[in-house]
Amino acid sequence: METKTVRALFERQVEAFTGSPEFAALEAGCGDYDAFIENVARAHLKSPQLVAFLYALAPPAAARDLLGNLLEELGLEAESERPHPALLEDLLRAAGLGHRLVEVEAQAADDVRRIVTEPLLYGTLREVGLAALTEIVAFEFMLSRVSGRIARALATHHGLAAPALEWFTHHSEVDVRHAEQGLADLGAYAAYYEFTDDEALTIVEMTLRENVFTRRYFRDATAAGTPR
Amino acid sequence: MRLVGATLYALRIPFVEAFSHSATERRWSDSVVVRVRDDAGTEGFGEGTPRPYVTGETVETMLEHLGRDLWPRVAGRDLPPAGHLAGLATFLPETYLAGALAPNAARAALELAMLDCALRRVGRPMASVLPPRRTRVTYSGVVTAGSVERAVQHARRMRAIGMRHVKVKVGFDDDVARVTAVREALGPGVTLRLDANGAWTFERAVAVLDAVAPLGIAAVEQPLPRGPVDDLARLRQATPVPVMVDESLVTEADADALIEAKAADFFNVRISKCGGLARSLAIAARGSAVGVGVQVGSQVGETAILSAAGRHLAAALPEVTFVEGSFGTLLLAEDVSVESVRFGHRGEAPLLTGPGLGIRVVEERLRRRAITVRELSTEG
Repeated sequence: METKTVRALFERQVEAFTGSPEFAALEAGCGDYDAFIENVARAHLKSPQLVAFLYALAPPAAARDLLGNLLEELGLEAESERPHPALLEDLLRAAGLGHRLVEVEAQAADDVRRIVTEPLLYGTLREVGLAALTEIVAFEFMLSRVSGRIARALATHHGLAAPALEWFTHHSEVDVRHAEQGLADLGAYAAYYEFTDDEALTIVEMTLRENVFTRRYFRDATAAGTPR
Repeated sequence: MRLVGATLYALRIPFVEAFSHSATERRWSDSVVVRVRDDAGTEGFGEGTPRPYVTGETVETMLEHLGRDLWPRVAGRDLPPAGHLAGLATFLPETYLAGALAPNAARAALELAMLDCALRRVGRPMASVLPPRRTRVTYSGVVTAGSVERAVQHARRMRAIGMRHVKVKVGFDDDVARVTAVREALGPGVTLRLDANGAWTFERAVAVLDAVAPLGIAAVEQPLPRGPVDDLARLRQATPVPVMVDESLVTEADADALIEAKAADFFNVRISKCGGLARSLAIAARGSAVGVGVQVGSQVGETAILSAAGRHLAAALPEVTFVEGSFGTLLLAEDVSVESVRFGHRGEAPLLTGPGLGIRVVEERLRRRAITVRELSTEG
């Protein structure tokens, strides 16, 4: 599976996300900021668990990267001071949504529960892992390009100070590296588990058949036909 | 048990990907969900999907028909016992809707809601009225319209998730190339059906089917528009591909006419189209009695409510060759039940064993996704 093909798919998704009316509203000062912040927290509060799952499936060539990501999520890597879920909790509290924390935690847990209990579409963990890795890397790719804009919008229009926005600023700095690693890891995963190019690309495309960023961050706005 | 209230929700749930065929393109669900409440506070949910080109109903006429004609005739009356599906169906009076072939989507939605409510009230599952004959249901995948490249992409996805039965939408200039490309992408181990949604002329149907028959086509659905059944009978004689009827099969009278004319190899029985579970069972039984195969079909964009009903029907029929539906969040941005009804690998899905239809509907999602909500009471 060629990296440039996957990169192009990610770029189209990012372009559609930043071109969406919801994202434009966020930057223009008329977004639903509370809902957006809750959705971001819900989408990423359980990231350490998902990265741990991927680490368990990682081929040798990608294991080191995924372990690094996991340690970082857990706040155990030198450059990262706090676990990422704690940064998201800070964000919620600073936004005046501390009272929603228990509910958002429950929603995030329920999302994981749903993943586990829904019938599996794929026949083996090999395919499930590729789909999950695709989505994780897609978010890293997007955050490396967009999280700075999101942080600026939240600071400007929602009055959030820099410490509350650390989750975004951290990702904008770190995810440039993660995103490049992630693209390489996707290729390594596909090669190690002997996917043909067609097989791998089909699963990547299927994972990205709807805009994963819009789906997670603007939950009520997902619409068919949104250009990707 | 008396019904004391009902709520109608006209839904608009976006699709994650547009779904198109020769008759239309859909980007969101346009179901109407009915919630009924009895005098003990028990709720039941049903769903119908109006299709102007099938039953002649629209969302607006369906809402109006439910509120004006159907609900007033069941509100406040004592319902038959939960275990008596036929009794429940006859409790629902025959109604007519001007300009429609039959108000079957409205009828199906109310019938399902009453049945769900009656079963929930006594804590019994659907299996108590529709005993399953199999332990799981195997669904077909669908390749929608669009470019041949897109069709191939969809076919590869179907192969990636192990679907064993696939239907491809046809009715375009490039049908032969489309079917050939899809067959190549799927490989030989998958049964392939075609669905023209009535888009072909007789001559076009014969030409396309002759060309693609060597690719191994299990059936062609609704090759000609709804019309004289003799045309279908003639086509059936003219092509080696078995003929399945869909838009031509809306009522029990349709079934009788099709059987009489020997116009079909398969019936596509869809609960919303056919007016509910009881009538769907009756139509399927008519077909099976004379060797006509049965497909349990679905409505594009149906929610978990109609999918659950379809699952029960498919599990209970003595013979069922193909089953469609239960796409859940593969198609909908959000479904309406706590439980996922989506099929898994190879299109397989387990039976739903909880009370009533076996799913728990989240009313908040209905309300959030509704473009119209109407409350009905015993006062009308």
